[in-house]
Amino acid sequence: MRKSKLLIGLAAMGVIAGGGTLADPLPPDASYRPLPTLPLDLVRRNDEGAKPAVQRRQQNLLNERYDMADRPMQGVKMSGGRKGVQEGVRVKLRPGTTWESLANMTPEEIKAKGLLPAGFLPLPHVKQLTGGQVFPENQIKAIGDAEDRNLKRFDVDFDLPDHMTPEFPAPIFLTNRPDLGDVSGGKLLTIRNYYAMMVGILTPVQIEGLRLLLTPFPQEEFNQTEDRKVAEQSDGVACLDCHQNFHTNAAFHQTPDVRPQAARFRLDTTSLRGMFNQQIHGSKRSLRSVEDFTEFEQRTAYFNGDHVSATRKGVHLPDRPNQVAMMAQMQNMIDFPPAPKLDPTGRLDPSKASAQELAGEKIFMEKGKCAVCHIPQESFLDHQMHDLKLERFYKLGQVFNDQVALPDGPIKTFTLRGIKDSPPYMHDGRLMTLADTVEFFNLVLGLKLTADEKDSLVAYMLAL
Amino acid sequence: MSRSSVFVLAGSCVLLVSGALAQEGANPAGMSPDTAGKEMAKPSPDGANNQDKLFVRQAALGGQAEVDLGKLAQKRATDPAVREFAERMVEVHSKSNQQLLKLGKAVNPDLPRNLDPEHQAIRNELDRAQGQTFDLAYIAAQIQDHQRTANLLQWHISTGQNEPLRKYSIQTLPEVMDHLEQAKATYAALTQGAGSRR
Ligand code: HEC
Ligand code: HEC
Repeated sequence: MRKSKLLIGLAAMGVIAGGGTLADPLPPDASYRPLPTLPLDLVRRNDEGAKPAVQRRQQNLLNERYDMADRPMQGVKMSGGRKGVQEGVRVKLRPGTTWESLANMTPEEIKAKGLLPAGFLPLPHVKQLTGGQVFPENQIKAIGDAEDRNLKRFDVDFDLPDHMTPEFPAPIFLTNRPDLGDVSGGKLLTIRNYYAMMVGILTPVQIEGLRLLLTPFPQEEFNQTEDRKVAEQSDGVACLDCHQNFHTNAAFHQTPDVRPQAARFRLDTTSLRGMFNQQIHGSKRSLRSVEDFTEFEQRTAYFNGDHVSATRKGVHLPDRPNQVAMMAQMQNMIDFPPAPKLDPTGRLDPSKASAQELAGEKIFMEKGKCAVCHIPQESFLDHQMHDLKLERFYKLGQVFNDQVALPDGPIKTFTLRGIKDSPPYMHDGRLMTLADTVEFFNLVLGLKLTADEKDSLVAYMLAL
Repeated sequence: MSRSSVFVLAGSCVLLVSGALAQEGANPAGMSPDTAGKEMAKPSPDGANNQDKLFVRQAALGGQAEVDLGKLAQKRATDPAVREFAERMVEVHSKSNQQLLKLGKAVNPDLPRNLDPEHQAIRNELDRAQGQTFDLAYIAAQIQDHQRTANLLQWHISTGQNEPLRKYSIQTLPEVMDHLEQAKATYAALTQGAGSRR
């Protein structure tokens, strides 16, 4: 009796809720990119005028959230041996708390008292409401020198210091020629040098795939129209402008998958190493193949998931049987950096690993629960997306530099192979060091690790 | 509103908006030609664009309906949790509406006089409903309304120009999202289901 009444009630609601169209939906600019209304010279003058304040505001946020000092670890380098790895926890605590006191509080308590370290919150784009792709100085300079192509925006600069970003240029390891080791020669692959560098090492199909990955195509901020953020008309952006040498230079943009603009989260470029073993792609889209990602990246990442804008500015749609297949094959040839201490099952070889690394592995497999999602014999992946529910710890809807702090929802598990090479960490780059990630998971998973255990976990991850 | 005013959010002390950085995100391709005070990249913090205007209208519509339906639910709801929720809505949204109208005057919004047709339809439905059916219908409508308001605020934060109004939106959003969580929890309790509570 009671049940049927309830159902009738719900059905009645359905008529109200689902029956008619909403009286006043939000205007189209809540989803679509509006057309420009000013000539480029005016836009540029305004943007350049606003830029110092934009950069200052972002620096304030970064300094408030993190200790950004350059403090590399002793005796640890990234895989190419050319760049140090930053040490220690860099996320700043709220006054009156310690990592131990936080770990002993419930999520509800931390939320109610506003004690979650701000560095654990989503990291805003340097100019959240404009968004778009932003390249680090090293990439801008290298591409400017090699190709005379300008990747510098007039409205924003890259916001992280060089020491918080990956080694540049990154070493390149090939699955099809493991005998060679790093084939980059310490140089950045560009459309000018790729052929001479790779002929004789790669197949014709792979070389053509590489050429396409290095060819610039129009993009939201880099194109020929008045709606761009680069001074000159631009040929566009190449895949490897972000995925430098098939790794990452920490270039960032925003997720194409979320609206309105203030709700979009930042995306830190992922490495393309180990693509061959990865079964889902993209933090939200969960595309099932490298081919799919390669084909769609140009409408989604290049144009913010706005196919209307893409069509106006000149979208490149690589054809599936030829170009996409070649680009994908090339990406699938990129190996992780060597990890000499790992055996073929992804476990540490006790004859090579240190006592601390072995202790770290034990925590990784047991108390730390890390291996539930980062499975050693599967390249530390599980091919799943997980909702870490960080919003248990903070109040939703707070706004930081025009970004609304919202739940991340399910995000795919990232690999930990070669992880010391890929700062900053997490999908949006909100964590600067591996020690930060340990504190993050210690809190989120309620692990109550000791200081020694945390250090061991970091030592272990450095060996991966 | 002082140009150099520093806005501090509960539980944090991040510099959100400084006078030197008035909002110009309405169009990532550049401000609209009628943006007040746009010279030298300084849209006037007191200026307003169409989005501000539309925002005030829509927020006023939603706010008015919150109070109207909340008063009804205070009288008619049977579940104490629903009555409590309705009380909170009347109290919070009355205050918030006043603030909105005061700030919104500056943009000459096209203000509604009555409930909009959509809310009127909900009102009619609620007038007919009884007992638990009423409670459910009210809370279900509240979930939808708060989803829309949260999105409206996020959109205005994305596109509005008027600084006092944007500050209003930034301040109001966490509260609205909290109401949404509460409405979802209440719905879940009423239906013995998980509902859409996270
Ligand atoms: C703005 C710099 C940028 C450019 C340019 C770019 N990417 Fe990406 N790429 C990213 C980011 C950021 C991600 C992560 C996306 C996500 O998490 O949703 C990504 C993810 C990927 C992935 C999936 C990797 C994974 O771990 O899930 C592939 C494959 C990929 N890109 C290939 C390409 C190709 C092919 C191109 C050229 C058509 C390209 N990218 C251009 C930044 C870029
Ligand atoms: C429930 C599954 C799960 C568990 C358990 C887990 N992780 Fe993760 N891990 C993820 C997901 C999902 C991400 C990506 C999250 C994001 O970007 O928001 C991630 C990201 C990371 C990253 C950053 C990777 C990158 O490329 O930026 C590190 C480092 C990491 N995890 C280490 C650990 C450690 C150490 C533990 C154990 C203490 C652990 N994880 C436990 C799912 C998990």
